Amino acid sequence: MPSRKHLTLGGGLFLLLLLPPAATLAGEPYLISLASRMLIYGLAAASLDLLLGYGAMISLGHAAFVGVGAYVVGICHFHNFESQPLFAWPFLLPGSENGLVVLPAAVLVAALAAFVIGALSLRTTGMHFIMITLAFAQMLFYFFVSLEKYGGDDGLTMYARTKLPGLDLGDKTQFYYLCLAALVLFLFLAARLVHSRFGLIIRGAGNNDRRIRGLGVASSRYKLVTFVIAGGTAGLAGALLANQTEYVSPGLMHWTLSGELMVMVLLGGLGTLYGPVLGAVVFLLLEETLAMYTEHWMLYMGPFLVVSVIFFKNGLLGLLTGRKARDD
Amino acid sequence: MTDPLLQIVGLCKSFGALRATDDLSFDIERGHIHALIGPNGAGKTTVVNQLTGDLAPDAGAIRFKDRDITRLKPHQRARLGIARSYQITHIFENLTVAENMGLALCARAGHNFRFFRHWRRASLVKNDLDAALERVDLLPRADLTACHLSHGEKRQLEVGMTLVGQPELLILDEPMAGMGPGGTVELTRLIRRLKGQVTILLVEHDMDVVFSLADRVTVLVYGANIATGTPAEIRNNRDVREAYLGDNGDA
Repeated sequence: MPSRKHLTLGGGLFLLLLLPPAATLAGEPYLISLASRMLIYGLAAASLDLLLGYGAMISLGHAAFVGVGAYVVGICHFHNFESQPLFAWPFLLPGSENGLVVLPAAVLVAALAAFVIGALSLRTTGMHFIMITLAFAQMLFYFFVSLEKYGGDDGLTMYARTKLPGLDLGDKTQFYYLCLAALVLFLFLAARLVHSRFGLIIRGAGNNDRRIRGLGVASSRYKLVTFVIAGGTAGLAGALLANQTEYVSPGLMHWTLSGELMVMVLLGGLGTLYGPVLGAVVFLLLEETLAMYTEHWMLYMGPFLVVSVIFFKNGLLGLLTGRKARDD
Repeated sequence: MTDPLLQIVGLCKSFGALRATDDLSFDIERGHIHALIGPNGAGKTTVVNQLTGDLAPDAGAIRFKDRDITRLKPHQRARLGIARSYQITHIFENLTVAENMGLALCARAGHNFRFFRHWRRASLVKNDLDAALERVDLLPRADLTACHLSHGEKRQLEVGMTLVGQPELLILDEPMAGMGPGGTVELTRLIRRLKGQVTILLVEHDMDVVFSLADRVTVLVYGANIATGTPAEIRNNRDVREAYLGDNGDA
């Protein structure tokens, strides 16, 4: 007898798999693009949940890594288009549109950024950690605003999508299934992670950091590795997002996006991994529908978020599975 | 025939004019439950802090397994096999009982950068988890979130997590503090069962507990050892009755 949680997850995956043919049949192919965006934001939010929901690392700068991943793709494409090397010294590095190059590069550069930012931020905790992650993200935001070569404030338009052998990312449906595959793979690995020995240490550190150090475990190293994993994943989300909008801008790093990701995590269910994906879906769906009626959609979104956070303490996923967050 | 695990010789510690520990000497026999009792302010916790290395004595020596450990740091003493369970319980409230114990088991490893296999199936945990939970009577509660445990059960879990490090000397600092009568009975039973597995220094207020558990008792008054002996000897010791047992001595 499968549990309610497994039924919910299986049903969700089934719906997501069926969405492109259904949308095509209904004559609403636009829905496929919207759903791709939902999956990408879901990926970014789920990676943030590793920090918020498991390690109790309240990062308000997660969008920085989304932005870094997006810019890696944008800049590689730009140099490829202009036939101008990224740099010529100490070795010649040309631009590229090859997904086998730019997607791993986006993940690696975002992970490296997370390593540097994490190594410095994780010396602090609580309110200081929130502020320092926010400060680093805003620093990157202003850095890219001032990069005139790559469009500065206006951002960078991509003239082509990333090339992957055997796939056409320009095709809505193929791109959608790529995003879905990335999300499912991440959720599978992350679900294993949080129940591994490493995950046990992280959850322990999130619950009572003093006690875990009392057991003789140097928890800061585990937190840093988690921060790097979450950052790299956000970088992948950024790379996909750049392809989805064919445009990258400093706005991707702005703290408001970090805040939105945090809202998605809380809305869907903190410390559930799958919940934040649901949170992203609901958030973007609301944004999309409300924006059709009024440009002041935030006026309606705000109260909805307040009510749902107060009444659904275990998030929307908790409503569906009937279980408390963290209680799997 | 004596086989002392821990020897305290002429230990002194002053805070300003206050002599908190006053030329204190006693031995703890291997395998014993040794109780340290005394009225409030007698300096019991000061002694414990010097044994664990959290406080440096002014004079005297502490020998553990025939080795002078007076100048060793707390973590070095922990590695030698001295473990302490605090008055305030420190457990992971949001994790299950099994996960709490699993963490203690994992902490024995040099590192835990294992990302894929479920922690319960790790060889480090698999063989020892049930036994470790059974030892403190918590096997039936394994999948309960720790915050739902009773006060006494939390203390049992805490002690169980301490025992995972296989200490030779377990220092229990007022384990009965703040516990209802039910919890006291449970914990007394647990400590009795641990006897023989580990040597215990029991710092305790509750006289019933002390006299029912201890092999030997040391009575501390104003930081000095006024008597050490079996519970029966202590009960009949005139000095102790005057200084400490006082009123309820006749009961």
